[in-house]
Amino acid sequence: MRLLSVRGLTKRFGGLTAVDSVSFDVEQGSIKALIGPNGAGKSTLFNCVTGFEVPESGEVTFDGKSTVGTRPHLLVRDGMARTFQNTQLFEEMTAAENVLVGLHSRTRTGMLAAAFRLPGTGAEERASREEASRLLRMVGLEAEVDVPAADLPHGHRRLLEIARALATKPRLLLIDEPAAGLNTAETGELAEVLYRIRDLGTTLLVVEHDMGLVMEVSDEIVVLNQGAKIAEGPPRLIQKDPLVIEAYLGEAELDA
Amino acid sequence: MGRRMAIVRAGCCLAFAVLVGVAPFATETYLTRILTFVGLNVIVVTGLALLFGYAGQISLGHAAFFGIGAYTSAYLTVTAAWPWPVALACAVALSALGGALLAIPSLKLKGHYLAMATLGFGEIMSIAFREGDAVTGGFDGFTGIGPIALGGIVFRSPESMYWLVWAVAGVALLLSWNVVSLRPGRAMRALHGSELGAMACGIDTVRLKVQVFVLSAVLAGVSGVLYAHAVRFISPKPFNLEFSVLLVAMAVLGGTGSLVGPLSATVLLTLVPYVGAIAPGLPKEVASTIKDWAPDIYGLVIIVVMLFAPGGVAGVFRRAGAWLRPLTSAPSKERA
Amino acid sequence: MGVSEITQFAFAGLKNGAIYALIALGFTIVYAATGIINFAQGQFYVLGGMLAAYAFGSLGLPLPLAAVLGVAATMVAGVLFELAAIRPKRNPDMLSLIIITIGGSILIESLTRHALGPDELSMPAFTPGPSVGLLGAAIERQTLWVWALMVAVVALLSLVYARTRFGRAMRACAVNREAAALMGIDTRRMVTASFAMAAALGAMAGVAVIPLTPIAFYAGPGMGVKGFAAAILGGLGSPMAAVAGGMVLGLMESMSVAFVPSTVRDVVPLGVLLVVLLVRPQGLFGRAAREKV
Repeated sequence: MRLLSVRGLTKRFGGLTAVDSVSFDVEQGSIKALIGPNGAGKSTLFNCVTGFEVPESGEVTFDGKSTVGTRPHLLVRDGMARTFQNTQLFEEMTAAENVLVGLHSRTRTGMLAAAFRLPGTGAEERASREEASRLLRMVGLEAEVDVPAADLPHGHRRLLEIARALATKPRLLLIDEPAAGLNTAETGELAEVLYRIRDLGTTLLVVEHDMGLVMEVSDEIVVLNQGAKIAEGPPRLIQKDPLVIEAYLGEAELDA
Repeated sequence: MGRRMAIVRAGCCLAFAVLVGVAPFATETYLTRILTFVGLNVIVVTGLALLFGYAGQISLGHAAFFGIGAYTSAYLTVTAAWPWPVALACAVALSALGGALLAIPSLKLKGHYLAMATLGFGEIMSIAFREGDAVTGGFDGFTGIGPIALGGIVFRSPESMYWLVWAVAGVALLLSWNVVSLRPGRAMRALHGSELGAMACGIDTVRLKVQVFVLSAVLAGVSGVLYAHAVRFISPKPFNLEFSVLLVAMAVLGGTGSLVGPLSATVLLTLVPYVGAIAPGLPKEVASTIKDWAPDIYGLVIIVVMLFAPGGVAGVFRRAGAWLRPLTSAPSKERA
Repeated sequence: MGVSEITQFAFAGLKNGAIYALIALGFTIVYAATGIINFAQGQFYVLGGMLAAYAFGSLGLPLPLAAVLGVAATMVAGVLFELAAIRPKRNPDMLSLIIITIGGSILIESLTRHALGPDELSMPAFTPGPSVGLLGAAIERQTLWVWALMVAVVALLSLVYARTRFGRAMRACAVNREAAALMGIDTRRMVTASFAMAAALGAMAGVAVIPLTPIAFYAGPGMGVKGFAAAILGGLGSPMAAVAGGMVLGLMESMSVAFVPSTVRDVVPLGVLLVVLLVRPQGLFGRAAREKV
């Protein structure tokens, strides 16, 4: 079943066409990777899919519903979550608090209910805190529950952002360069986390530069170059695709 | 929230009540009046602490809401001769409306644009207070405002007004404390930390900003209502940019992500011009010099805090708390 | 309103507009170099005007020297403010820098009061003489000075921007500060220079107008808001747009007396500010800015 479908998506900035009529689908329960040289338009495409930017033309359908023009927080409620290339954590808040914010769309306590501690607020708070520590355990951050996000090492910040996105209980999770700045061991752990997320029923769309990781985890790969899709298919075919190799010429990571 | 936190909360409330409650017995009437002003500022700054310290939105127009509250209550109780609670309700509604209006620019604008928009709003309101003779009494001000009558109680004496103001301040602080320690407070801090991140967590940032603006405007409006009946005469002068900036100074010195910090900063900064009354031993010249230089002190405080102690008073408290933690040994997870 | 009255108001509007334009230029220059709005900009106008009037009236300096001194001393104040309050900020984020300039604004205002007194100051026009008649309206000679000054400033700025290394660096900063820094431009020095220029522009406005409108220490924020309204009306991006914004704002304000009582005339620029911020934050002549995700 198709969970996400992108058709003819185009986004321009001034004279520059950042995403040029791109189409692809993401099957439910799969891990799909989006790769391409720097400036290929991957992050812009992410932004268009998640509602952070509005494309000039084209259609994005999530679970049968068009998402173009829908504000990001509503898409989160519909089950689409994301992380950012430049992590957008709440730096002064602890790891647990970051994940608690991720639970926002699944909890209800409003201003008035909180101010007067109406019945139910305490129970919801306790349940939220339990859920937050469960999610932190899932990504392996249980030792850093009370550490402010700003004080976490780089790799853990990426994991925290993933945990926070998972807190929204997404059906589709879009992850932007999760392995950037990670060492080999951390990248290995990351792969485990991605599998775990997939196995729990969340579909993944991952932008990634680390070819080793991409080739290992993804079921299918979409390759962008200068805004346009140049190839799509399973990892072993992508590796041999002459267009892809040409696009990456000089970026000798493809055979990693 | 654990039992420990509940005990800490109860202790804080009790200490607050005792400290505030006994003050009028220990002091003369003049000082009681000054401390009433402190309480009025505490109410406004609590709202600003939510807006600035938690949600990261700046307002240079909060004096206008204070003025809206004061003039609304004055006009409705005196000119229209309505009962005070009705006037209060109208004042709350009007400041809430003003807050919502002021929130509109914040939806599109960030940082400096928002600050300028709020400043423009404040200036327009101060012109309205000055020129709206028919309602506000214009330059000459609004005289003949009566005391607050609530049920059978009339708040006529400075002491009774003092207690009323501080009771409202206490309730405002308590409710705000509840708000910031639960889901809405976290959403506010998230908005401050990263607006994109907040959106990605499903927070309706537009709605949240409007809510916080309205909340802080209402607190300022309520404070203005109490002010009108505490001084019984209002002129346009106090509802100006200078007061708005002073309020920002209090919120900044207080520090972000805290209510106790801004509370302390408000007490400190409000008392600067009245240093002669608090420290009777001080030579008159020194006291009047300090009063004369109060604006310089406010300006300097803002700059110095921003440069060297961005955490403000709250940051100092936090560091002290971290030092004391090994002694008390039970980690506290929440920030008040 | 008769024709001569309309021209009279138009000239008054263009006079005020030139003053707003000078202050607006200060806003755009600091904005280009730092990305922030300098809330102390209005204080430079006060400081320049009052210092010149003080140098002339109390120190007895000749008027040209007093005028130059007012501008130069304000420039020094602007540089000192930047060096003492902006530059030392570590991890500068926009909100804290703005708040620092707000603090700077009250500090400078209050220091001005201590140094130059609580009263309005004024000084005579640069060149004495009767008003000049033009299109049935009478124009004070000082108004001609205001216009001449603005034209000279704009010409000089255009020249600096187009021809000098410094001007090119300023333009590069305006387009993209990070990229400018990567290209080897010392952005910290550009910030200091921008404050010096903004202070000088504000001071020139004050010096030029103080013979016509006495200035007191508290005039800064009001004038700052009007200058900002002009800058935002033009669209913060380019100096020329700021000048155009100033002129348009001055005309609107002055023509408004036909519709509203003159006591609430100040509402016009404030209203323009709010409407522009709400409806078209990129200004009349600017292109929409894009927030990077």
